[in-house]
Amino acid sequence: MKRVLLALSVGVAVLLAACGGSTTGNNPATGGSGVPTPPQASLIGTGATFPAPFYDAARFAYNQKFSQATINYNALGSGAGISQLTKKVVDFGASDVPMNAAELTAAGGSDKVVQIASTLGTESLAYNLSGVSNGKLKLTPKTIAGIFLGTIKNWNDPALAADNSGVSLPSQAISVVHRSDGSGTTYIFTDYLSTISTDWKGKVGKGKSVSWPVGQGAKGNEAVATTIKQTPGAIGYVELAYVIQTNMTQASLQNHDGNFVIPSPDGATAAASQFLAISPTQFSIVDAPGKTSAPISGYSWLMLYKDQADKNKGTALVDFLDWLVTDGQQYAVNVHYAKLPSNIVNDDINSLKTVTSGGSTLLNVPAPS
Amino acid sequence: MVPPPLVAASRQRRLVSGDRLFRVIAYGAAGLIMLIAVLFLIALVVPALPAITKFGLAFFTSRTWDPVRDQFGALTPIYGTLVTSAIALLIAFPIGLGAALFLAEEARLSLLRGPLSFLIELLAGIPSVVIGLWAFFVLTALMRDKVDPFLNHTLGFLPLFGGTPTGYGFLTAGLVLAIMVLPIMIALSRDVIRAVPRELREASLALGATNAETIWSVILPYARVGITGAVLLSLGRALGETIAVTMVIGNTMQISASLFASGYTLPSVIANEFTEATGNVYLGSLFYLGVVLVLITIAVNVLARLLIWRFSGSGRVAG
Repeated sequence: MKRVLLALSVGVAVLLAACGGSTTGNNPATGGSGVPTPPQASLIGTGATFPAPFYDAARFAYNQKFSQATINYNALGSGAGISQLTKKVVDFGASDVPMNAAELTAAGGSDKVVQIASTLGTESLAYNLSGVSNGKLKLTPKTIAGIFLGTIKNWNDPALAADNSGVSLPSQAISVVHRSDGSGTTYIFTDYLSTISTDWKGKVGKGKSVSWPVGQGAKGNEAVATTIKQTPGAIGYVELAYVIQTNMTQASLQNHDGNFVIPSPDGATAAASQFLAISPTQFSIVDAPGKTSAPISGYSWLMLYKDQADKNKGTALVDFLDWLVTDGQQYAVNVHYAKLPSNIVNDDINSLKTVTSGGSTLLNVPAPS
Repeated sequence: MVPPPLVAASRQRRLVSGDRLFRVIAYGAAGLIMLIAVLFLIALVVPALPAITKFGLAFFTSRTWDPVRDQFGALTPIYGTLVTSAIALLIAFPIGLGAALFLAEEARLSLLRGPLSFLIELLAGIPSVVIGLWAFFVLTALMRDKVDPFLNHTLGFLPLFGGTPTGYGFLTAGLVLAIMVLPIMIALSRDVIRAVPRELREASLALGATNAETIWSVILPYARVGITGAVLLSLGRALGETIAVTMVIGNTMQISASLFASGYTLPSVIANEFTEATGNVYLGSLFYLGVVLVLITIAVNVLARLLIWRFSGSGRVAG
């Protein structure tokens, strides 16, 4: 009996593998709008925690659609994502900041690794001020830099009052809350501060962890959100998803065009579409021009090797990533990330088309329109 | 016909070979533990090498921690670790010793003894992350609204209690650590006090000393070394505690005289930053912090073991 079952399961597996191999390509019955059907494979990825809710929702949905492809993702942080990809113990890595020149050299050279933008996030400045309801606090690049540099110490500072006529700001010390763990959220926020303030650029700079002039650190978006909620007079940068999920009050931010906007996924997409030439070396989209652009936005990235040793796995990988940047984007919206703009989707697909195994291209989809 | 001595000899030989087997297993197990310890130290030091070669001993005196410019120093987290642990011991020592004396001396016939011992064991069994959660959601607000303002009002002339309380920082972290080391402090001190020979106690009472005098001039001097060991073992626990401290210390790279200020500890820096530390020197510096922490805790634990061993081994007043 056992033997029969075994034979049966092997048979099914072979059949599935054969199906996967033969129908790769444009199959409307299974693949929908030009999404290729992957071969049977089990893939492992490791990396950033920032986009993990999106990846988890997406890989689950992909497995529902194509049960022969299983994608595992361990949210161990961008550092682990890059080092495990370099050691080739995972099929793909994820990082909030693309691999830099030194990391690419360690991975065998910049021409060996493909990096694609996978999702888009935006950040809010959440605050705890009794009597100042959601969106009522208006912050300009100048006051934001002042608060985080520690030059604006009290909520009744004249600089804040000038932008907030009609709002009664209390005489209360400002408690700055920032991330204590290294994170892409911090990178995007300090990238923003470095862009709008030369003082910040010179004294602190940008990075996933920085030497903060003021404030206290909390570990993870959740802890920053809770610390702000618990501390009267607190302000901090929090990923939009957490602000929405936990009903925090957030500030209206003055963008590059001078408009005050409340950060939203649409604002992030608007900001991203202002930058047409995004690459792993030129990827900053903070302080974007445009009427509705959310000023503190950024991409998250996925990395894979250009030459895939295992053709089967490599094919499944590019098929999954092709789906992730197209149809899979709907799962980003569900967890309050923003959809990739179409120019980035095209760049991603073109990058994925350069992935090969034994010299032949693995992704068979029509050229993006 | 086989002579009896031969039978005895073969049985003995069998015994001897059994002995050998046992010896091999025992030596093997002991050797394995040492091998694991050595491999662990190598695995800790090797990744730290980029930082050790770049910063050397200046690492211990530098207050800079700037991942953007790849400049790192351990002085700030070392300071935070020592300050929070010191606060913890200052609070836990008198309370722990009092409770231990109560359990060992006063409560021998009391109905309280059973429930109290049970509660202490319960406290020891609460995972640190749960204590951290409670501290993060309850204690920080209590400190910010009640305890810190009171201290600031009454003792604010001291720089220790100056500044604006936010509820997070050295004092809150020290208090959390005190709660966590109390069970160790109480249990070890109680055992040490109980080990004081009955004759000494009785002799003191027979000479006309009161109970309090007996405790003060006979029992405590005798148990002094053992109690010091208990304090040091508590210190070892406090130095390495990570998650609960990370949740309330405020995670700020600063050295401040005020106990209300946010700070940082060695384990908190490592736990916070390793996930996104991508550079060799950055990651190496985190490992270097790990080396520092291991060296401090090993020194404290060895000292504690020596003291306790000396106390129980010699069976007399030592030191």
